[in-house]
Amino acid sequence: MKDVHDAPVVHSADATNVEDALEAGNYRQAVIDSESATAVAMRNTLLTPRFYTTDFDKLDAIDVSPVRKDWDKLIAQMKSDPNRGHFKKNEDWDHIDWDGMEPKLKAEFIDFLISSCTAEFSGCVLYKEMKRRGNNEDITTLFQLMARDEARHAGFINDALREAGIAVNLGFLTQAKKYTYFQPKFIYYATYLSEKIGYARYITIFRHLEAHPEHRFHPIFKWFKEWCNDEFSHGEAFALLMKTDPKLTSGINRYWIKFFLTAVYATMYVRDHQRPAFHEALGVDTDWYGQEVFRKTSEISKQVFPLTLDIDHPRWMPGLKALQRANADLAEAVEKKQFFRGLGARVRAAAAFIGLFTIPAVPNDPPVSTRLEPAY
Amino acid sequence: MGWLTKEFETAPCEVEVSHCFDSLHAHVKFLNGAVINPGDEVQVQGPPVMAPYGEVVREERIARITRASRLEQLWTRMTGDFEFMELCEFSFSEEVSV
Repeated sequence: MKDVHDAPVVHSADATNVEDALEAGNYRQAVIDSESATAVAMRNTLLTPRFYTTDFDKLDAIDVSPVRKDWDKLIAQMKSDPNRGHFKKNEDWDHIDWDGMEPKLKAEFIDFLISSCTAEFSGCVLYKEMKRRGNNEDITTLFQLMARDEARHAGFINDALREAGIAVNLGFLTQAKKYTYFQPKFIYYATYLSEKIGYARYITIFRHLEAHPEHRFHPIFKWFKEWCNDEFSHGEAFALLMKTDPKLTSGINRYWIKFFLTAVYATMYVRDHQRPAFHEALGVDTDWYGQEVFRKTSEISKQVFPLTLDIDHPRWMPGLKALQRANADLAEAVEKKQFFRGLGARVRAAAAFIGLFTIPAVPNDPPVSTRLEPAY
Repeated sequence: MGWLTKEFETAPCEVEVSHCFDSLHAHVKFLNGAVINPGDEVQVQGPPVMAPYGEVVREERIARITRASRLEQLWTRMTGDFEFMELCEFSFSEEVSV
């Protein structure tokens, strides 16, 4: 192990740079419990991904024979690694005047980069764990390839963060980490959705900036197209996995799928509204962006899900707005330590979520052949 | 494994931290075949494994495994799924508010 600093700083206040500050004793101590670890992670960019276990016997029992042809083709394509050369900085990587950036935009953009980096990193940790503990070669190969892509994306974002003077700290392994649990089917729903919605988000921004280059305030957006193609093919793999067992998309699981869709869409809406300066700089109306991303994700998810959410329903947008207001109130109540106001906001948020969840879904009859190519 | 009691054990492990442009990752591999179950806690002993930018650091260390009680394991099995949102790039952080 190499430590760049000979004498570690005792307190972060004495540090002259971010790396020293993160190495300081008070931060090492501050991240013992998981609650504060999350808070510290966001402020100081100490990455604190979760660690996962699942039912590995169930995962091993997957048989991709019913989709073998599509599966082999997809894996071969991922192995050939068409994007290997993509994540390099070239002359398109313009100089960024970080110091000249409007402070609110800078804060929101850095928050965007950090949460993107954390998500890629968490995906990498999850996939690597599945790869390591699985015994089914088809499955472990897939997870290994996806871990490779996620680590590459994380490295690329990390580099953009370094330019902004922010060091990502990977020292989290020496803190106590609790292993959480995902049922295999929830891994499929959640990762499928997170990959596909990730694709829809990146490509929507990419296409928008293609038409309005004057809003491209950072070069990283130019890389979004190939980047989101990785996300797209990861999603394809999970779509194929779900195709191997019809039970995964029928019966009670229809409700789980609806729940995951509602939770993911609603979270995205609320979270994007927390970055007004970021979206304004991109020249994007946040409501339009949300609906556009939901529309693309719904259209893609018809490949495997037995339903889509009715995002044009008269209760949809008001429900999202109510949830967003409740959430903003809750954040303020927590900050000001107003217990009853916080409680009220939680109740309103729960009611808004139930309101969204109970909007009748649009039934869908997925096609026999699942495979899609990026089309947006 | 007790319903409420936790047990501890140690296991040799290999830690790999990559802080490169091509790959940002950090993994722990147990060298004695130790299996981690839901709710168990793992802590790699010693100072943080820090890879300077552009380097991959591999080290053998000892990990302390805190085995979850049966109750905790059951609870983690029931509730762990709801942490899935972390995989999304827009997952919540504590910092930002409107």
